[in-house]
Amino acid sequence: MIFFIVLLLLVLVAQIAEFFIPALPWLYNAHVYIVPVIVFYGAMALPFPLMLALALYAGVLLDAVTVQVIAGKVEISAGSSILIYGVLAGVMHGLRPLFARGRWEVHCILSGVFTSVIVLAQYLMITFRRGSLVFTREIGWQIAGPGLLAMAMAPILFWFLQWIGRMSGYSYQPERGRLE
Amino acid sequence: MSRTNIIALLIFGAILGYFLSFGPSTTQKFKAGVYQLLAPFLTGGSGIKKQITSVRTGLKSLDQLERENSSLQVENRELRATNQGLRDAENEVNRLRHALNYRERSVFKLIAAEIVARDSSTWWRTATINRGRRDGIEIDMPVATDEGLVGKITTVSESVSVALLVSDENCRVAAKVEGSREQGIVSGERVTTGLTPLLNLNFLSKQADLKPGQKVYTSGVGGVFPSGLLIGSVKTFRVRELDGQAQVTPAVDLSHLEDVFVVTGRK
Repeated sequence: MIFFIVLLLLVLVAQIAEFFIPALPWLYNAHVYIVPVIVFYGAMALPFPLMLALALYAGVLLDAVTVQVIAGKVEISAGSSILIYGVLAGVMHGLRPLFARGRWEVHCILSGVFTSVIVLAQYLMITFRRGSLVFTREIGWQIAGPGLLAMAMAPILFWFLQWIGRMSGYSYQPERGRLE
Repeated sequence: MSRTNIIALLIFGAILGYFLSFGPSTTQKFKAGVYQLLAPFLTGGSGIKKQITSVRTGLKSLDQLERENSSLQVENRELRATNQGLRDAENEVNRLRHALNYRERSVFKLIAAEIVARDSSTWWRTATINRGRRDGIEIDMPVATDEGLVGKITTVSESVSVALLVSDENCRVAAKVEGSREQGIVSGERVTTGLTPLLNLNFLSKQADLKPGQKVYTSGVGGVFPSGLLIGSVKTFRVRELDGQAQVTPAVDLSHLEDVFVVTGRK
């Protein structure tokens, strides 16, 4: 349980940090997303109920940042980020046995891919609302860029989170019902 | 699937359904509530970021001094570093004095605010300011600097507010062009790649024939933005199938905003 609370705190810290990390001009102004990597790690390390709780928490925070009410209309409805996080974290959770055996490669790659999926899903939602489908190289990079950055960050963050898990005495064995 | 997992999934689904049922006003309140919780971290983080930037700038100028003046003594470098610090302070004083002068001579009633955080998401151009409901900020109030229009307020919590920048595709501003009878709607682009985003002035007549450099002001139509706020200047003009469209360079450098004013009305 301690590890779960630490993950909640880290998600909050990462979400706040994202406000202060500027977009990268050399990568078509792609943004750096840290929260998804932490959530996807949690999805692999935590049991199913806690994985859902983490996805819900991160989704609420992302919703608060992304939902826009302009002229009395909601562009992306609250809850959409919770749904996206829930589904992607669920897929990641399915790969937990592989992670428990110490094979991280697939998860690092998928963390990047899923980060891009979140940005792509947001783009598709605003495209649906605004009514014009535009797809340029810049948009492609703004979707792929955060994924590539997340993929690059994932091994370091995973190692760091693994270390925190060990320090808090957390067991990574996928035993049913065991929380710590 | 175990019973615990099924119960967890049902609770997750119920909470998700609750969020999805939010209407516009509930969504506003939800967003404002979360921003209010984050407000101390955002304002605190802004201060830390400024300190880090200041230290980095100081180190950079020392480095440049070393390259340019390799023969200078250590003592001389220290004096220059001190000077740099004083110059930073002087610049800040000048900037604030400039802003204060603008507030005094402006025809609008203004509330001074500082940008504490920029947009953290890919598809929206927003900025968080350190003024909220308790300072008299309300939704849809225009945000400007002495150079021109910045955007409008979309979310207000007790102590911070979120402004949608004029460079966002969703921020539509009724505009008129100086020296002509042309009126149109200014909006941003969905994706900007350069540091300086361009704005689109749509729905002009095909005969508009605007020239580069002509100033674009708010027209006051629609009631959100008062008339007479400078938006930018025309960069190019082209005729489309149904209307004319001008690309407008924003008057305000939106990538380096620090201090802004929220327009609460006319004096």
